[in-house]
Formats: sequence, C-alpha cells, structure tokens
Amino acid sequence: MRRIKPIGWIGGSVILLILIATLSLLWGQYPISLETLISYLQFKLLGGSGNETYTLLDNIILQIRLPRVLLAILIGASLATSGAAFQAMFVNPLVSPGILGVLAGAAFGAALGMLISEHWYVVQILAFIFGFIAVGVAILIGSMVTNSRSTIMLVLGGVISGSLFTALLSIIKYVADPYSTLPTIVYWLMGSLTMADLSGVLLISVPMLLSIGGMILMGKYFDILSLGDEEAKALGVNVIMVRLIAIILATIASSLSVVMAGIIGWVGLIIPHIIRMAIGPSHRLLMPLSAIVGGAFLLLADTISRLALSVEVPIGILTSLIGIPVFIIVLKNARAAWN
Amino acid sequence: MELNPIISVNDLHFSYPKRPVLEGVDFTLNRGEIVSLLGPNGCGKSTLIRLILKLIHPSQGEIWLDNKTIDRYSHREIAKHIAYIPQYNNVPFNYSVLEMVMMGRVAKHGFFVAPSAKDKEVAYESLRQIGIENLTYRTFGQLSGGQKQMVLLARALTQEVNTFIMDEPVSGLDYGNQIRLLELISDLARQGYTFLKTTHYPDHALMVSSRVVVMNEGKIIANGKPEEVITSSMIREIYGIEADLINYNRHTWCIPTFSKGVL
Repeated sequence: MRRIKPIGWIGGSVILLILIATLSLLWGQYPISLETLISYLQFKLLGGSGNETYTLLDNIILQIRLPRVLLAILIGASLATSGAAFQAMFVNPLVSPGILGVLAGAAFGAALGMLISEHWYVVQILAFIFGFIAVGVAILIGSMVTNSRSTIMLVLGGVISGSLFTALLSIIKYVADPYSTLPTIVYWLMGSLTMADLSGVLLISVPMLLSIGGMILMGKYFDILSLGDEEAKALGVNVIMVRLIAIILATIASSLSVVMAGIIGWVGLIIPHIIRMAIGPSHRLLMPLSAIVGGAFLLLADTISRLALSVEVPIGILTSLIGIPVFIIVLKNARAAWN
Repeated sequence: MELNPIISVNDLHFSYPKRPVLEGVDFTLNRGEIVSLLGPNGCGKSTLIRLILKLIHPSQGEIWLDNKTIDRYSHREIAKHIAYIPQYNNVPFNYSVLEMVMMGRVAKHGFFVAPSAKDKEVAYESLRQIGIENLTYRTFGQLSGGQKQMVLLARALTQEVNTFIMDEPVSGLDYGNQIRLLELISDLARQGYTFLKTTHYPDHALMVSSRVVVMNEGKIIANGKPEEVITSSMIREIYGIEADLINYNRHTWCIPTFSKGVL
C-alpha cells in the first residue's frame, strides 16, 4: 500500500530541489543573504531603480552561480533518467548510463578534441559524436549474433565498445603533451561543472530536456520491457523500436553531460535504486522522480564540492565517494525493490 | 454450431538450424471453442503458440487471423485480438498486482500517452471478474503460483479481447490451484471467451476442452472431441505408457496403469 500519493512525491522532491538550488545560489566565496537575493529577483523581474550591488550580483548570480546550478540539475537529471531507463531495459541492477559505451566514447572524443584543437567547441562536438559512435559500435556488435537474447549481446557489445574507446583514450593520453594537454585531459575526466556558462547551458538544455521528457513519457514501456521481450511483444509493444528510441534519448542526454562536464559517475546508478526503494518499481513515477532527485543530488554534491574545501574537489570524485557507501546500503536493501 | 474461424494455420513449418520443430501443421481455432494442445515435451506446442503470436517467424506456411495473414499485423494489432497468458514467472521488479494488471492496457494507447483513470477502472473491474480484488495492492512477486496465474488472467481481461492463449496454465501450481484455475477457465469460456491452451495432462484436456489437438514430433496426429481423441492407444503412442480411460460421474477420466504395481 502507498501512504504518499505520486503527486506528493513529485511535489516534495521539487520543493527539495528548489531549496537546494536557492542555497546553492546564496552560498559561495561571496555569500549572499536571502533578502538580497529576493530584492535582486524583484529588481530583475519587475524592474525599478538598481544600484551598484546589482551589477556585482549580475556577475555572481547570472554569470557564475546560476549556469552552474542549472547545469548540475540538467546533468543529474539526464544521468539518473538514463540509468533508470537502462536498468529496466537490461533488467539488471548494476547497469548505469555508460553500459553501452557512451561515456567512454564521449571521453575519447573530448580528449581527441583537446589533442588536435585549441577550440573548446571542437572538443564538445567530438565528445558528442564519439558518444554516439561508441553506442553504434555496441549495437552493431550486439546485432551480429542473432538467435540469442538480444539484450545480453547488446550489453556485451557495450562492454567491448567501452573497452575499445578506453584503450583509444589511453593512446591519446600517451601521445599528449605531458605538461599541457595531458593534465587538461586528466582533469576533464574527473568531471567538473566549472565550464558552465549561461548561453552554453541554455543551448544544451533544449535537447537534454527533450530527451529527459521523452524517457519520462516512456515509463509505461519500461515497466513492460522488464518482463522480457516475448511478454512485451505479446502485450503489443514494438520492442525493437521502444528500445532504440530509449537508447537514442539516453545517449543524447549522457553524451551532452560529458560534453559539458566530463565524466560524472554513480549518479545514474544509485539514484534510480534509491527512488525504487522509496516508491516501488513502477516507472511511471520512477522516471520523473529520478530526474528531479538526480538533479537535486548532483546540485547538492556540486555545492558541497565548492564549499567544503578551500580547493574545489572535482565533482566526479565526490559523487564516487558519496556513491560507493550509498550503493552498499542500497544493495543491502535491494530486496525491497528487486526480486 | 456454425464454424467461425479466428485463427487458421496452413501447412506451417518451423525449424531451428539443423532441427525441424514443426512439419506441415494445419490448424483452426473457432470462436467459442476451448482447444487443448496436448503432446509430450518438445512436440512443438509452444512453438505453434509463439508462431501464432508472431514471436517467431515460420520457415514456410501461413497464419491467418481474422481474414488477414499474421505478417500484416503489428504486435500492437495482434494484442487487440489475442491476449497471451504466459507461464507465470518471476518478474525482476516488485510491481504491485494493480501495476501488473494495468500493463494489459498498453496496446490501447499511443506512444507517449500515459494510462488514464479509465484504464485503472478496467483493471479494477478485471480483478473483480476473476475474484481477486483482495490482491490489488499486494506485491506480484510475493504471490503464490496460482494467484500469479489469476493476476495474469486479469491482465488478459484488460486487453478487452475475446481470444486467450495460455501456455501450460497449470504448470508449477499445486493440486488445488490447478483445479481452481481450470474451473476459472471454464467459467470464462461459458461467458463467451475463446481459449487455446497447451497442456501436459490428458486429464485436464478431458475436463476443460471442447476440442483436443494432439501433437507429436512436430505434427498434428489427432484432432477432435476430447473423448474421441484421448484413447489408450494415443497415450501409448505419444507418451509410451499404458493408461485406461474410464467413465465415472458422466465424465471420462484417464488413469495411468502403473506397470510396477501400486505399492
């Protein structure tokens, strides 16, 4: 029996997200009080006489903190929904968004971009393209063997594709200039939201939100796909098309997250598990909640990484450090949601 | 009764590499029938069902569903004609019974359309019709085998079709649940639903069938009224054991002859 209705869960998690986002806008090396933020928002929305503080706030909030807050939410939501979709599709609790090699491919693409060009947009474009190429390779390998359970071959294809692009990434690291390019690549791979700028974030928010929204609307299919292909087909689901669309949407969302912030692990793995423990496995509620809580989680982690130490900790390291103990607890209680 | 075919199968062949499974099967399911497919392990019963549901493709032959061949239907369209009740199995996630039953409604909606309040109402009504509304909020994975099978029947009802295909409906159920499930099937059949089910038990075929189709080694070897088809010689031929058919209480029962003598 459910004690809290779906609308309560969604409302509660949205309030949590807004709370964390507000704190994240206020806290930092230059602390802003809540009153200042409210009067600044009034000034921005309603107009009126401004003063010099607002120019400074323009700089801090609009140029620095807001893009970062939005990016953290978008990436957390992307990774968590992709992870939830893949866990249902592959009927496996250990599956994360990188299962089909998208993160390895995008990481290789980004490193290649850093090696051959000084322009940041080249890095981003190559990251996005190679994210898709890696998933394409996985699907190609997965479809070479017929007459077998296609999802297992697909996962194997992903493992092979991921290893391939990890090896190619090592080649890039090996030939990169150890004093300039190599540190950039290594730092990038640790994951960081420091590159966020408002126009870039707004630009990628469109495809990211469309992908996240698409995956949320496909929740009813994820329920059925988890029963196995034959049962799903007999219930009237076009299994191949649903799977392909889900893979495309998850790949868009995941490679864009690498494009903007490098490799951020664990979010896509643990958030769906936590939600499933709280509300049960039905993907119609699991998908939107994963998006909201995934966004809130990454934003919280990023806020901590900005504030906790005098030196900023790369967020990928922090999500792993938080993710590992949480995952152990989740596995211990996994019976609550998995059979 | 006037014959009104729903499914017709003509000269159907299917083979795995180097191993033929079906060799020239002709078969018809008419509206209002309960047809039992009887035969030993590996005779091709389940393969025939999977071919009819378009889960696998024949190497030769045709399958007709309501005046169109099956390859002209999408899975979604087939689900609007036939509900499939698989052998109950474990689901990876702990869905509630209501969530499981609601899944039967998926073919009714477009790609990005969420289920509505009406779908929920249909699900409740189906659970009532099977008589398991007390299970609505239980976890599917924690039910007994018999309860799971009844939930899957309720899910089939939400598809709002007249034809049900069941693969070994009683397999793995205890004795009481086997009989209760067979009674439920005959109740639904009296309400006008058409059934095609596979079975391992000649007894069950005698109890709940209007027609029995016997398969052996990929061919149909007998097809007709249960009492005419299920005979001692047929049991000997397909199962390799002796059995007596006796009349008791206006009904024919199949009693195996235990060759070592009853202890």
